[in-house]
Amino acid sequence: MAAEPLLALREVGHAFGGLSVLRSVTFDVPEGGIVGLIGPNGSGKTTLFNIVSGYIRPNMGAVLYRGTPLGRDTIQQRGLAGLVRTFQTPQVFEQMTVLENVMVGVTKLTRTSMLQDLLRTPAARGQMREIRERALAACERFQLAGLRDVPAASLTAGQRRILEIARAVVGEPRLLLLDEPSSGLNAQEIENLRDWIVRLNEGGMTVLLVSHDMGLMTVAPMVHTLYFGEIIASGDMAAIQRDARVREVYLGV
Amino acid sequence: MTSSRPLSSYVTLGLALVVWAILPFVVPRHVADLLVFTGIYTIAGLGIGLLLGHCGIVNLAQATFYGIGAYASAYCTVMLHLPALTGFALGAALSMALAWLIGRPILRLTGYFLALGTLALSAIASALFFEWDWLTGGTLGIGGIPKLDLLGFALDRPSRYYFLVWIVAFACMAVAANLVDSRTGLMLRAMRDSSTAAAALSVDLQSLRTRVFVVCALFGSLAGSLFAHHASFVSTQSFTVDRSINFLLIPVIGGATSIPGIVVGALFITFLPEFLSKLGDFHQILFGLALVAVVVLVPDGLMGALGRLRKRRVAAGNGHGG
Repeated sequence: MAAEPLLALREVGHAFGGLSVLRSVTFDVPEGGIVGLIGPNGSGKTTLFNIVSGYIRPNMGAVLYRGTPLGRDTIQQRGLAGLVRTFQTPQVFEQMTVLENVMVGVTKLTRTSMLQDLLRTPAARGQMREIRERALAACERFQLAGLRDVPAASLTAGQRRILEIARAVVGEPRLLLLDEPSSGLNAQEIENLRDWIVRLNEGGMTVLLVSHDMGLMTVAPMVHTLYFGEIIASGDMAAIQRDARVREVYLGV
Repeated sequence: MTSSRPLSSYVTLGLALVVWAILPFVVPRHVADLLVFTGIYTIAGLGIGLLLGHCGIVNLAQATFYGIGAYASAYCTVMLHLPALTGFALGAALSMALAWLIGRPILRLTGYFLALGTLALSAIASALFFEWDWLTGGTLGIGGIPKLDLLGFALDRPSRYYFLVWIVAFACMAVAANLVDSRTGLMLRAMRDSSTAAAALSVDLQSLRTRVFVVCALFGSLAGSLFAHHASFVSTQSFTVDRSINFLLIPVIGGATSIPGIVVGALFITFLPEFLSKLGDFHQILFGLALVAVVVLVPDGLMGALGRLRKRRVAAGNGHGG
């Protein structure tokens, strides 16, 4: 038998009001793998993401993380368990600098009580130094070092996207959920993004990737195609592009 | 950027300390009195500033915690003849407990609804201070609250009480600055800017908001206890919704994200009405106009405006330097 998948969706279904957006979606994300999810607008990709990350509770089915149903676990609990997402529209902390944004991503790896923080105890200072050092390293790695003292509000769409990814990755997630990470990026930035995803994955990070970008999707050896809330095809990108049903409903040929 | 502070900043700090130390002795008694109130309002305003500037929460309930601190001190010293410190401790404990209990449900609200929730708390508390006259003395209040002494030194005049109040105020400012610069401060500002993204990074919004609310209540209660021992008399008039609004003005005027800004705001609301009242009956209109002017012209407060000015000058200086 293969090892237990890091993330498993079992018959996940969801409806908003009477509108069914996901129907019996079942797939695995193996530990250390990259799994892709494609599908036209409105096919349920973001809803699926919101269910996995805890923003929406599904009407039906179960999401298992390391073999345990996530059930009523909050967004924060999922985050602490190693499941971190980015957003389709990048959500940066606008009034904070780039470095501070990344520092927020590190906070979950450290623990201080508010009392320690109020009194600036040596432990609190030590943790703050560690947070800063890790964030500086991440800025360096994601080529944000030159922007580190700039308020995030003044970043371009592409820079925001990269900042969001850096901020998610610096918290050392086991499972990184990327929602449309390449939208708003230029060709060079997409190339860098691809590189990072590959390298993060080689470092042991599991990735679930939602994207419209067929080029980027080739990093995923397993891609599922979602259409009106159902998986209609699975396989590598080459197989997906050959699939008759996918060509019909998605590629429009 | 990481170089040690220049000598000039130490000189400035030293001069400021000297001015601070001789100020109550060279000004008239009523000005010293206003300076005491500035210190008390700075302490209460610091809590509101933390919530407003770093959490994006409008708290219109600070007069409640101010009142609890004041009544706890009055009751402990006048009715129970206990040492003054017990009043401070009781007020702090009650305020923090109440903030925690009320904070958990109402901090689930956001924006205007939360502001209205805190306003309701202030209105209810002010009604209870009035109704529970067996405890608070109602409109007659509690009088004869003893002046404090410190290490055998009687703080029975504004020029002396000034030192105690401001030492407490500086300690509270240091604690608030610590929080702002800490890991908790980072998470607070993240939550203020995008609660959705903060949650995704495992920031526990609910518990953080509640804990800052508790810290705010602690500051409010401390300020209230200091007020009781200064005024010698407390009654319901001092803890109305009006007072809550006044406290909210402090960070709004001075700059909610700046700690020195709280002092500026406290100076503004204590000295300006006093100064304007010399001009005649329409002084309240003038104060209102001054408020509107600040809010419209410098929405980020006086310290915020100063910060922008300094940044612009630095940028211009760099431009000239090539």
